Parts: sequence; structure tokens; C-alpha cells
Amino acid sequence: MNKPYWGLWSLLLVALVFFAAMSLLPDGIRIGGLEIKTPALGENIGQLVTDSVHRQGDTLDAQGRLPNGRHPKGWRAPVDTTAKTILFIGDSMLEGLAPRLAAYCDKSGHKLIEVIWYSSSTLCWAETARLTELIKTYHPNYIMVCLGANELYVPDIKRARRPHVKKMLAEIGDIPYLWIGPPNWDEDTGINDLLAQEVDEGCFYLSAKDHFDRSRDGAHPTRASAQQWMDRVIKWMSTTAAYPIKLNPPSQLTSRAARIVIYQPPV
Amino acid sequence: MTQVLSQFTFNRDEPMLFTSGLFWVLFLVFLPIYAHLKSRRVKMMTFVIAFSLFFFYKSSGWFFLLLVATSFIDWWVAQFIDSSKNRTERRVALTVSLLLSLSVLLFFKYSNFVMSNLEALIGGNFQPLDLILPVGISFYTFRTISYVVDVYKGKIQPVDDYIDYLFFLSYFPCLVAGPIVRACDFMPQLRDNKPATREMIYGGLWLVMLGVLKKAVFADYIAQYNNIAFGNPTGYTGFELLMAVLGYTMQIYCDFSGYSDMAIGLGSIMGFNLGVNFNYPYRSLNVTEFWRRWHITLSSWLRDYVYIPLGGNRKGKARQHFNLMVTMLLGGLWHGAAWTFVVWGAGHGIALCVHKLCKPWLDQIESTRLTRAVSWLMTFSLVALLWVFFRASTFQAAGQVISGIFTDFEWAYLPVFLKRRSTWCIMLAIIYGLHFVPSHVWDKLRERFIAAHWVVKLLLFIVLVQLVLQFASATVQPFLYSQF
Repeated sequence: MNKPYWGLWSLLLVALVFFAAMSLLPDGIRIGGLEIKTPALGENIGQLVTDSVHRQGDTLDAQGRLPNGRHPKGWRAPVDTTAKTILFIGDSMLEGLAPRLAAYCDKSGHKLIEVIWYSSSTLCWAETARLTELIKTYHPNYIMVCLGANELYVPDIKRARRPHVKKMLAEIGDIPYLWIGPPNWDEDTGINDLLAQEVDEGCFYLSAKDHFDRSRDGAHPTRASAQQWMDRVIKWMSTTAAYPIKLNPPSQLTSRAARIVIYQPPV
Repeated sequence: MTQVLSQFTFNRDEPMLFTSGLFWVLFLVFLPIYAHLKSRRVKMMTFVIAFSLFFFYKSSGWFFLLLVATSFIDWWVAQFIDSSKNRTERRVALTVSLLLSLSVLLFFKYSNFVMSNLEALIGGNFQPLDLILPVGISFYTFRTISYVVDVYKGKIQPVDDYIDYLFFLSYFPCLVAGPIVRACDFMPQLRDNKPATREMIYGGLWLVMLGVLKKAVFADYIAQYNNIAFGNPTGYTGFELLMAVLGYTMQIYCDFSGYSDMAIGLGSIMGFNLGVNFNYPYRSLNVTEFWRRWHITLSSWLRDYVYIPLGGNRKGKARQHFNLMVTMLLGGLWHGAAWTFVVWGAGHGIALCVHKLCKPWLDQIESTRLTRAVSWLMTFSLVALLWVFFRASTFQAAGQVISGIFTDFEWAYLPVFLKRRSTWCIMLAIIYGLHFVPSHVWDKLRERFIAAHWVVKLLLFIVLVQLVLQFASATVQPFLYSQF
């Protein structure tokens, strides 16, 4: 190998070793207020090891979970008919969904707490302790999330937002939950794939496949379309969700949640 | 183990591009072997062909065999054309080769487009075919066509050894997105197989780094806002849409030219000069100049293999304008199978005709700073406006973007926009600024990079990769809530 090729090759190699070493740093690096991002090399290798270890013994624990903490495909808890306190959090999409869910809750004896954080994303929720605080305050025994509409176009989203989705799921912990995916008005960069990968089996409703009539902004479903969306989610819960609860069809179209909390858009 | 192996098998959703980490890890393995084999021509070619075909397999699966078949057929046809003295035979061989190449391209790229249009015209129950478009098929088809046509016209001698031709057609730096290098420029370099000089190797690295900066930092970051606005134009004001159009104008340049820079840079590292593909197109003072600076290898291909064979400017003004329109319509359709691309091509065709018509009058206007500024503004505005059709998924969306800009424009949104999307605005301003840095300054920087100490090069490379990492996960402010 001639000298310039040797120089170029060693340059590329040193750079690779440098970034591989960076990726192994457990806590990342911060300079001033700036977070220095590291590549996912270490993370990917760790995932490969974890997956291969988990495949060695696929036995279920008492909650019906595999060693990797997920339910096996098709697992379902029996329908829970007790009255619930449902915490429903998310972005502006809740404006259309929550009133319809409130009508179901009224009919079924559940208490609905609706928390709208306008323009929010998994990033916002994960970087604050807001979800944990809400759980501490309202003691929900069922959580519904509708997030992802503000993340349709995030580049490299599986890497960028996976930790945030994981953190939110960790905050939810053992509380039965359902994550309603965003109502795509355009192709996304992977938010739905990411949610399908991270959210437990039977706990993710893929809204992107549904048809919506849109309001004037072209993104939010119209009120009527949002109500139909909620109906579809509830129908899906009764047949497919991992944690089905009693949700009787209401006689009225919409209702008001027992409590509504609104947060302004993140700056 | 299975997961590790899966990294090396075809994945429809994850084609291997020059910006992917896997490519650079593989290139690290490729480079010393290539350098070792460089002086042994046949071994070097065999190795590069194997790597290129793997590169193509990783992006398009078993369709890499299509490339092998195309290269063999066209190599054989070119041999036949050269050896045959019978004019009819030569013409038939050329026609068969062209039909084969074009029919494969048409099938993969335009089947669904044609069928959906037929359905709209005559009705029927159309089901789109689940076709994978082999990556780079448009590029290598044009390259193989130019080779066979040039042999037919006697401009070049056919390649004796098939392995040489397979090397040319499968050469991985040009495979995915060009440049559309011609055999007449490439084959002499392959025959000579001169060793790559220090200038070529580090000049190539410089170009690769510029390409990465353009594609993975600038284009990918500013694309986020453009995607949001173009994805839902009715949710945005005229000012926001104008910013999206200005953003997309630079995004597409950084995207296309960035990838070209990487390809040309890799070629240079390997000791091949692949020419220039983009020459600061937004500095153009008229649309004719724009097409001399934009995607040069494509526009010169269209000129040499469509426009001139149609008659060019040799058959009168009316025929010249007709030829221009046909060329630009085909150029539009080449970019994508949709009517929006055709309209984009037609827009440029009309603009070229108008410029040709007005040229005698325009040439009489004295060239001053003011006239040049006006010419630039008119050219840039037209090009940016036509990009709307290139980017928009439907005519309705394109109409919404354009009408939004002209009917719902208020400067009052400027401060809010600057505040909420400050990083995006700064980045866009930097890109526009860099585009107008004089060429000699860029040449000087390149020379200084080549001459710089190894440690300086390493630091610059690390800084660049870190920039890619920083901006890969940086997000532009999403759409703000608007009332029902």
C-alpha cells in the first residue's frame, strides 16, 4: 500500500476507533449545555447480545412476560370489568379523541383524566417528569397515550427517539396501557415502526392505516372523524388489545372528562 | 449471528448508501485490498467488480443479476456492431440493444404510472404491481445506452474484454446516483490504470467530506421543515411556504450534488477522474446557463443522445423549440414517474425556448451589476418555483403551496419564524452564503486540505462526523397546533 493510501486508511481507522470508543461511554458527554451525540455502535452490539440471550429461554413470568419484558405475540389479559381511573395523555389529537372516550367512560363507570400538551412529542414527555407526576397525582390504573403526530418527520427517529419512548414506558411501569399511534397525513420517517417495536405486544394501535377526514389544517382529523377514530380504537381493544377493559357503547356522542389538564406548547 | 449476517443481506428499507455507517466500515476493509491490488489490473478489476456487485445486491437484492445481464448483452452487441460491415445489421443490433435497455427501465420505473393512467382513461380494476425499482437503474441504463450508441457512431472503439465493461457499468461510486460517466472518458483511465496520486486521494477525501456535509448535515436537516410544510401545505401561511420553497431549493441541490461529490471523491480516491456534475447552479444568470451547471452529466447526455439526434438547432427555430421541449419533457419523466415531474420538465423546456427566443434582444442589454442582479433573481425565482412541482406529491399540493405564497403572505410571520426555527434559518443562510463563495476560494481550501498535516485532516474528519451525529437527531420545530 502506498503512503497516501496508508495515510487515508489509518485516518479512517482512527476515526472509527474514536467513535466506537465514544459509543461505549455510558453517560454520554456534555460540553456546557451541549450534549455531544455518540454513535449507536455500542447500543447496537448490546441489543444483539441481549436479543440472543433472551432467545435462549422463552419462559413467561407471572405477568405473562418474556425475559425481555415483553408479552409474546397474541397474549391477552382477561377483560377487566372493574371501574378504572384512566389517564389519557398526548398532543392536540386528544381534542378530538378524548370527548368520545369520555362518553364511553361515562357509560362504563370509569373516571377519565385528560391531559393535553399541545405540540408535544415523546421527547418532551421523556425529558420532563410530567408523566410520573401525573401518575403520582391521579393514581390511574389504566393509561392511554396518543403521541407521535409531531414526530412524523424526525430524521433517524429510531435512534433519536427510542430512549425517550423507552423512558415513557418505564414511567408507565406495570400499569396496563394503550398507545394510539399518530393519524398520518403523510409518510413518516419511522415513528410508527419505532412504537411498534418498543410498545408491548397488543398495546399499540396503528392509526396510520386508517382513513381520516381532515380539518382545515390538513393534519388533525375533523371532530366527526376523530370520534370514529376513537370508536375504531375501542373496537380493536375489545378484540386484540393486551389489556382489554369494559367500554360500553355510549348513548351520547361525546362527554367531558372528569378532569382536563392543559399544557402550553414546549418552547 | 443471524442478526450480524442480516447486515450483509438485502434489506428493501435500508439500501446501502455512501452515508451509511456500514458502507464506511466495508470501505475500510476494501481500501487496503484495493491499494494492494491496484497495480495488478485484472485482479484489481475482479475485486472491485465483486465489491460493486455486493454493493448493488445490498441495495437492490438479486436485481444485481440484471446489471450483469445488461452489461453482457450490450458488450456483445457493441462487439457485433463494430465487427459487422452490413449497415442494416448494425442498425438492427443497435435497435435491439436500445429496446432491451429501455424496456427494462420502462418496466420497472413506469409500469404502474402507465397502468394508472390507462385506468384513468379507459377504466378498469387496476392493481399496482409490487415492483422494486433496482437502485440506480436509470443511471446505468443511460451509461450503457451512450456506450452502444457511441460505438455505433464510431466515436469509440468497443471494449475488448467483458470484464472491463462490467467494471465500467457496475463501478460502485457511480452506481446509485451517477454521475453518468461515459465510456469514452472512463475506459482510457481504466486501460492506463495509473496509480492514484496523493492529490487525487486527499482531494477525493475532501470531496467526500464536502458531499457528506451537504447531504447528511445540510440537506437532511433542512429537509425536515420542508417535509412538514410540503406534507401539509394548507396548515401553513404564505411566508412559511415560501421558506419551505427556498429550503427545498437548497435541499435538492445539497442532496444531489452532495451525493455526486461523494461519488466523484470516491472515484478520485481510487484513481479515477469522474468529472464535475454540479457547478454552482444557483449562480446562473439565465436558465440555459442553469442547465450547463446543474447535473452536468445528465444534461449533456440528454443533449447528445436526445436533443441532437432529434435535429438540435439544425432544422430551424420551430423544430429547435420542439426538440428542446421533447428533451426536457423526457428529462422530467426520467426523474420520476409522475405528471408533476413532466410539468417540471415542461416548465424548464418553455423557459429554455423563451430564453432562446429573447437571446438576440437580451444580448444587446449592457451587462451591469443591476442587470446581472435582475437576471439572477428572475432565473433563481423561476427555478425555485418549478421545484415546487418536483417536490409536491400532487398538483393539488403544488397549487396549495403556490397559491398560499401569493394569497396568504405576511411579513409579520418573519420574527416568529426566525425565533421558532432559528437553527433552520441559520443553516439555510449558511448554505446560501457558501454557494456564493467564489470558486477560487474553494480551490484554495482544497489545496490547503491536501497539503495539511495528517492530524489536521483527521480532526476535520472527526468534526464532520460529529456534525453528522449532532444534526442527525436534531429536530425542527414541528407544526404548531392550529384550532379545529
